[in-house]
Amino acid sequence: VSERAPGADRARALYRRLLSLYPATFRARYGDDLLQAFDDRRTEPRFRGTLGGARLILFLLRDFMTSVPLAHDRRPGRGVGLIMTDLWQDLRFSTRMLVKNPMFTLAAIATLALGIGLNAATFSAVQGILLRPLEGTERPERLVQMYRQWPGIEFGSNSIPHYQDVRDRTREVFESVAGWIFQPMAIAGDGTSERTIGMLVSANFFQTYGVQPLLGRAFVPGVEDRDPGAHPVAVLGHGYWQTRFGADPSVVGRTISINGHPYEIVGVAPEDFRGPISFAAPPIYVPLMMQRRIDASRDLIASRGSNSMNVVGRLRDGQTLAQGQAILDAILMQLRDEYPESYDDQLGTRLVPQNEAGIHPSFGSAQMGMGTVMMVVVALLLLIACVNVANLFLARARDRRHEMGVRLSLGAGRPRIVRQLLTESLLFSALAGLAGLGLAALGTQMLGGFRPPIDGPWDMRIDMDSTVLLFTAVVSLGAGLVFGMAPALHAASPDTASAIKGESDRGRGRSRASSALVVIQISLSLLLLVTSGLFLRSLQSATDIDPGFEEPRSLATMAADPGLQGYDEATGRQFWDRMLEDVSSIPAVGSASLAWSLPLGLNSSDRGIEIPGYEFGPDERSSIAYTYVSEGYFETMGIDVVDGRVFTRSDDADAAPAIVVNRRFAERFWPGESAVGRLVGTAGEQREVVGVVETGKYGSLGEEAQDFMYLPYRELYQSAMIVVARTAGDPQPVMERIRALVRELDPDLPVYDVRTMEDHMGIALLPARLGGSVLGLFGLLGLTLAAVGIYGVMAYSVSQRKRELGIRVAMGADRPTVIKLVLGEGMKLALLGTVIGVAGALGAARLVQGLLYNVSPLDPIAFTGVPLMLVAVAALAVYLPARRAAAVDPMKALKTD
Amino acid sequence: MTDADALDRVLPLSPTTFHILVSLADGPRHGYAVAREVEELTDGRIVMGPGTLYGSLQRMVAAGLIEEADNPGEVGLHSERRRYYRTTPLGAAALRSESDRLLRAVNVAQQRLEA
Repeated sequence: VSERAPGADRARALYRRLLSLYPATFRARYGDDLLQAFDDRRTEPRFRGTLGGARLILFLLRDFMTSVPLAHDRRPGRGVGLIMTDLWQDLRFSTRMLVKNPMFTLAAIATLALGIGLNAATFSAVQGILLRPLEGTERPERLVQMYRQWPGIEFGSNSIPHYQDVRDRTREVFESVAGWIFQPMAIAGDGTSERTIGMLVSANFFQTYGVQPLLGRAFVPGVEDRDPGAHPVAVLGHGYWQTRFGADPSVVGRTISINGHPYEIVGVAPEDFRGPISFAAPPIYVPLMMQRRIDASRDLIASRGSNSMNVVGRLRDGQTLAQGQAILDAILMQLRDEYPESYDDQLGTRLVPQNEAGIHPSFGSAQMGMGTVMMVVVALLLLIACVNVANLFLARARDRRHEMGVRLSLGAGRPRIVRQLLTESLLFSALAGLAGLGLAALGTQMLGGFRPPIDGPWDMRIDMDSTVLLFTAVVSLGAGLVFGMAPALHAASPDTASAIKGESDRGRGRSRASSALVVIQISLSLLLLVTSGLFLRSLQSATDIDPGFEEPRSLATMAADPGLQGYDEATGRQFWDRMLEDVSSIPAVGSASLAWSLPLGLNSSDRGIEIPGYEFGPDERSSIAYTYVSEGYFETMGIDVVDGRVFTRSDDADAAPAIVVNRRFAERFWPGESAVGRLVGTAGEQREVVGVVETGKYGSLGEEAQDFMYLPYRELYQSAMIVVARTAGDPQPVMERIRALVRELDPDLPVYDVRTMEDHMGIALLPARLGGSVLGLFGLLGLTLAAVGIYGVMAYSVSQRKRELGIRVAMGADRPTVIKLVLGEGMKLALLGTVIGVAGALGAARLVQGLLYNVSPLDPIAFTGVPLMLVAVAALAVYLPARRAAAVDPMKALKTD
Repeated sequence: MTDADALDRVLPLSPTTFHILVSLADGPRHGYAVAREVEELTDGRIVMGPGTLYGSLQRMVAAGLIEEADNPGEVGLHSERRRYYRTTPLGAAALRSESDRLLRAVNVAQQRLEA
């Protein structure tokens, strides 16, 4: 005892305390003995001194680690320690199995990861854009969007006076009713100027959505919704506050310039509220009452007929959608009495719950249809992937029958083998799930970064949420367990003797399972390919459509709005005259003109007309799409003149009001007669038709022929115009030159949409392009997977039948006969899959019908070309093993088994 | 007592169990002495800490391979407080059967190595 170090008893006390790690019974029985053994150990020479002390600590630590779990295990002869060792062994063995077969592992993991990744990304997108309730708002389920119906317009917008009446007369049903409208603005401050698309909102906008500003205040209802022009204040969107103002908290109270007028920043919106729609984030909000100051060219505040505002209401507790509908209908009746002219053509009102509105309710079934199609497509792809993984595992399980048999006969317990297989499956699942998650993150990022080729504060809210993560986990685990375990369990079944001998007694049954999987795969990928084929055909026919103007590739466009910079009509006219002159004198420009809007853009406007002597039917649409153009427009665009003349420079405010209409317009109102010289009442005047031009495409390439009319820009000045120039050769330098010209005239004036007409038309082709390329890609993936699947199954079946084929060759069958035999068997599967797939595709085609241009959902080319291609690919996948089968050396084949 | 069923249940012996039985073959020992003996028998390859030692002894008692014994008359430091162990007939039979098996295995190995 004498040699004990002074601190020794503290060490003993510590050891005694640590003994509480053991179960109480063990401690009660052996506690003294353990302490005694501790004392004994400490007297040993190797555990003395500083180094010995360290050695003792390590020694005891190891002792605790191995003995504590064992002491807690009640089962005799088993222990946690052993289980841990087993698990570690399993894991190491599993890793070795996966690495040993790298092609198998890569193929299976890549396949499943692709399926999972695509599903998660698509689900994120659909969820983010269409399904998720509006972020950052309070109880979004109580919000409803309000629309007005006119003949031909299901979900029409509201005017400011109409909105004010609705807001004031529905208080018993709606807590509050707000309105908003996108508005281009030129924002200047600290020496920079930029054009952005902000939002004009009613003063109760933030209250209605239940949004508290992060900094400062929101607008004040009852104050900032009165006295037009008296509230030069603005609330910043959170993102804009961060990017433009560096998240400076002192921004509240600062003054910025909007369209040349000073505004005080009074607040900053919170981060989670990114505006009233799910795919754009307005950088700045300004009270509706400032509309005239922002855009002097039109007066929305006073005009009951200018319908361009979105209106949203919050239902009071206890009030239902039906009650909301009822009160809106009642108000419509009142308003009809009060303002018969403004309301006599309105058919009714529509209420849409905020959560069901999607991008815009007028896309209605199409947007949900597209969302559904995408989800179904990627789910099919995941299914194909799973089938492939199942097939791969099935093939491997057959390979491992021998291994399992050996292990079983050497005394490995079945539970032990099952646990080993389980570990392997879980390891596989974890790897595939992680890879899938990586792909999903990549895909989500790409989708979220997608910007439509249209001007706007786009901000797709696509991110992976917990649902997606859960989904990924469930799919990968499920796939790993079901597809990894099931075949493996079979392989571990008791019939070990024949397994060791290499007899494939059950081979027949299992290859039937593989065959079924191949048939499923082929039919699924055919379904995908036919659908994408339809989209590609649709894209093709859309590009073939004559838009009604010539060679969009050599048309250069540039848009600007001097009104945003505070130009009045006189200086604005000067600016545009100068631009037209300068652009026309660019040597590469053949002709140039001004237009208020271009065909196949997104913003179309229409207005009511009256035709003397023509009575509109009750449901007949009396408003016609239009634009303002300068002289030279039809020549520049290459639109054919059918009758009469086009506008000239002298069609200005001093001339008699003129109008040009398209052929369809003329044939609708004056069938069989010349339209020239007829009168059309619109834009406040009786206008004389001076010319008729060919009908083109205005809203979309797929549209039916539409009425259209052109108003003279020189008579009816507009501030926001587009320069269109027909160029000879490359339009790029011309566009650069136009940009430079604007800079010379006014360096502060923001320009936008500098592009060719072809790029502008990209918008119209976007749905077909997106649908075609995405589905095409998916279809190709499906085809590849199916080809791999059928190849694997056929190759296996050939290797199983080596002996039989050897006998056939020995009996005198020649190469072509053997090839035919194997090929025939594989092709039977391929054809069966094709037939089933075509049947499925017929159903799927009906689903996407609404998204196709000029293509029948039963398009013969898609329905014959695609199956033929698929059969060809399948034939190749079968031919390779068939050739190998024919090369079988009968002697060898008979000997080996 | 040494019926085949009981023997089957405890066989094969783990190396630690085997060596503990060997160390007790020539008479009862106390726990620490068992640990030292096993260490010596295995040239220091099996070194048991207190927890491992008494855990193994407890499980072997439960399996009926060893049992607690009286102090065989040793005198020395804390001898009177120590717990002593000795083999049971089952433990002896298990040790015999295991060493026979090992011997056969060793013989076969030796023959083949010489051949």
